[in-house]
Amino acid sequence: MLWLYLHFPHLLLDHVRRSQQTQGALAVVDLAGQAILQVCPEADHLGIRPGMRLKTALGLAPDLVILHLDAQQEANLLEEQARWLYRYAAHITLSPPHGLWAEVSSLQRLYGGLPAVWQTVEQALAERQLTAWLALGHTPLAAQLLAQAGKGECTADKGHILTALGKLPLVAAGFDEKSCTRLHRLGLNTLAEVFNLPARELARRLSPELLARIQKAQGTRPAPKSPWHPPHRFRQRADFIQEVEHAQGLLFALQRILTELEEDLCWRQQDTDTLHLLLQHRHEEATRLTLRTTGPEHRAESFLKLLRLKLDQHPLRAPVISLSLSVKRFLGREAPVGQDLLGDGQDLNEAWHTLASRLQARLGTEALQQLAPRADHRPEFAWTASAIKPASRHSQTPEVSGLPARPLWLLSTPHPLAEPPARWFSGPERISAGWWDGQRVHRDYYIAQLSSGQLAWVFRDIRDGWYIHGWFG
Amino acid sequence: MSKSLNHLLQDARIWQGHKPQKHASPAEHTGYQVLDNQLGGLGWPKGALSECLLDSCGIGELHLVLPLMQNVAAQGKTIFWLNPPHTPYAPALARAGVNADQLVLVQTHDSADFLWTLENCLRSPVTGLVMAWPGKLATRDIRRLQLASEAGNNVCILFRERRQAEQHSPAALRLELIPGEHQDLKINILKRRGSWPGQRCTLALGHRAGIQASDPTSVIQGPWSQDGAT
Repeated sequence: MLWLYLHFPHLLLDHVRRSQQTQGALAVVDLAGQAILQVCPEADHLGIRPGMRLKTALGLAPDLVILHLDAQQEANLLEEQARWLYRYAAHITLSPPHGLWAEVSSLQRLYGGLPAVWQTVEQALAERQLTAWLALGHTPLAAQLLAQAGKGECTADKGHILTALGKLPLVAAGFDEKSCTRLHRLGLNTLAEVFNLPARELARRLSPELLARIQKAQGTRPAPKSPWHPPHRFRQRADFIQEVEHAQGLLFALQRILTELEEDLCWRQQDTDTLHLLLQHRHEEATRLTLRTTGPEHRAESFLKLLRLKLDQHPLRAPVISLSLSVKRFLGREAPVGQDLLGDGQDLNEAWHTLASRLQARLGTEALQQLAPRADHRPEFAWTASAIKPASRHSQTPEVSGLPARPLWLLSTPHPLAEPPARWFSGPERISAGWWDGQRVHRDYYIAQLSSGQLAWVFRDIRDGWYIHGWFG
Repeated sequence: MSKSLNHLLQDARIWQGHKPQKHASPAEHTGYQVLDNQLGGLGWPKGALSECLLDSCGIGELHLVLPLMQNVAAQGKTIFWLNPPHTPYAPALARAGVNADQLVLVQTHDSADFLWTLENCLRSPVTGLVMAWPGKLATRDIRRLQLASEAGNNVCILFRERRQAEQHSPAALRLELIPGEHQDLKINILKRRGSWPGQRCTLALGHRAGIQASDPTSVIQGPWSQDGAT
């Protein structure tokens, strides 16, 4: 077995820096706000080091932007990294808070050698603007120690790995502090020197746990790692150092997230039709926006267009400190149908979905309606309007022939007839129905021409008066 | 006629007003031979705006468009109704043979949304026909719509009030619709491309209410005639 370990020295910083283009030094401080934990290259350049006190750091760089460590957020971030790595490697194990293992010996044939695997992962890291230190090891612990020390090399040779491991100082081996001090007092400074000690003596004089750790690093004691499986959902979050006041500022982060969504969907061979966008504000309740497309979609470009429309319609209530986009509904991707042999005809079905989604994003879902006749004798109930549905586009309409003439325009509420019609044409047509649901209709319908020349569908209600119910347009 | 004038008339570079251009832009037949003849044998222009100017609905304006709707629906293209004044009655449309699945009703709240929606509908390849009731429109907006319809090659019909006939409009076809005495529709062509306007014709549309010209009335008289018609 051969393990690849990815150590993310400042994942939180990378995450923040890629959602907003900023200049200037950034640092992550611990929960107490006392000590620096992670620094970005700019801060490092100014002389700020991890472990430094915050006051000292601020003395060195007064404009330092400080982020507070959030354990939950770090865990989420690490899982995000595991998700994309899962596309390249099947057996992944998380090593919170900063690392990931991937089993690579089974991938060598697929990629054509270890250097190719290494390169693929490095390229993926570069695409995501992430900093990670890679290392290979014949045991998970060996890989981890080498990666954390930044001494990783692309080699599968066990001897070579053990030599590199042996050169590590004792501090880098992750022993507990007490054992470390005792080993130092014995005059031991590197791991190689500890490796040479007899195992029984090590366990007796120091501790069995220390021996176990050494054996796990060497590979003489098994250290199984249970594989991690990605949950079936998509969730990405972007945090902003400077609050975003205009929707335009969100689009930059959204574009990156949507590109990753597209990649994710392509990789799953799935589509989605619902996106959930959550905007966090500092002092107000979070804004939730839901974007629905009328058909399955996976392209980042069309999602972005729709989101832009949606954000235009819903101006930001307050500055945004973070946004997260999640997708829970996945649809199987259908092969494009209805194209001609060469596939150069326009896909009308897709064009229809694009148009309907655009209109709905701006006007609201209820603004678009489709009409259908319904079997009812009462004119106002003889039709239905429904929100457009992709599935209903080729439904069968019921037969309505055999009825007397019906007007093309129906008034939403009958309009009282103001003057006697100029001419009467046909009638009466008595419609009496609805005793079963309380919406009783008892009317005599006529077709008449008004003095203005309009042909009207008028009725006399049994209770009172004459009304216009439609126009023969 | 003098010889030099004859000579001039034979020159192809001289445009002669009484001869309509045969090779005009693509169009859809109106379905009414009388009207097609007046429109130079073409019909509703595609990729351009048409305007119908009328005072009130119920004079046969939808029946004027009905053959076009049937055509477009049969081709599987979508018909958009944008801000219609009343509900298009689905049973009547189904009777007329218009597939209701191809009809989409859109309601917008303000004129910015209206123009945006209309433009989007016009530019889409799924659209066959857009019918819109815009209310007030500035000439600038109509020009914008004209450009959008040129991009999409669809038929777009705007229904506007008759008093806006005075307003200048870049629409390719402007028809004034006036109800006639016998349930017919008088059409004045106010503007058309490629030829002189001013033609008039009358379409008999009594059949829209099932009225035959031969039997003018089939009303069964009832008690309402005694107590007045209201």
